[in-house]
Amino acid sequence: MTNNPSAQDAVVIERIFNAPLHLIWQMWTDPKHYQQWYGPQGFTVPVAEMDLRVGGRRLVCMASPDGSMKMWTVGEYVEITPTTRLVYTESPADEQGNVVSPAAMGMPEGYPATTTVTVALEDLGGQTKMVMTHAGIPADSGGGRGWKQAFDKLADHIEAILNK
Amino acid sequence: MRREDDRLSQIFAALANPTRRAILARLAQGEATVNELAEPFDMSLPAISKHIKVLERAGLIIQGQQAQYRPCTLDVTPLEEISRWTAQYRHIWEASFDRMDAYLNELNQQEKNHDQ
Repeated sequence: MTNNPSAQDAVVIERIFNAPLHLIWQMWTDPKHYQQWYGPQGFTVPVAEMDLRVGGRRLVCMASPDGSMKMWTVGEYVEITPTTRLVYTESPADEQGNVVSPAAMGMPEGYPATTTVTVALEDLGGQTKMVMTHAGIPADSGGGRGWKQAFDKLADHIEAILNK
Repeated sequence: MRREDDRLSQIFAALANPTRRAILARLAQGEATVNELAEPFDMSLPAISKHIKVLERAGLIIQGQQAQYRPCTLDVTPLEEISRWTAQYRHIWEASFDRMDAYLNELNQQEKNHDQ
């Protein structure tokens, strides 16, 4: 436990991969590679558009295993230092890449509007050390009430479909 | 952390199914019996019961003990857990990097086979 608030609103993960630096850089910056690993087990990444320059757009779609849930995120590159440092932003979006407010998507209160991902890579001679920081994530959405409301909305949506 | 990850996996797995989400959405409006839950679906009672079991194991619903009716109620506690965004994001990233590791091994293997 810590009193440092910045430690609570960021996820920091450090990993050492058994692969050279340039390949780990490609994992993040080449859509064909990125689509192979991003997302929880069973999820797919049907779309990954990466305009890899500062201010360039990054549009990603993640789909649930049964394809019923699609989550689009859009953002832009803030910093690109090949092959050691990459910084980009992420916001919930529609499939055209327009930012949508989390509430409009039926997400509970407290869902972050924009977050920042920073990837720092270090060559360990054949191996690569990666430190990924995902910042701007609130630690808590204020309990389960938000989700209860989200499910209420979902219930309305399902009812509308069933009544068609 | 590992145990929390497993727990989150179970909750996510339970939620990653449209029938089960529909069941939860129905329960968000109030308690219901298994028969009532089965009504909107073109599915056998045993099939619905299986979905309910998955949701019960994830701690998302509680089934009452009254012999005849055994109504199901929604328990939002696990939803509170996944509404802690840091835990959720960490889970997604950890799972992603596991996949990256496996993918790198695969690429490495392909390269080796190619060299032979």
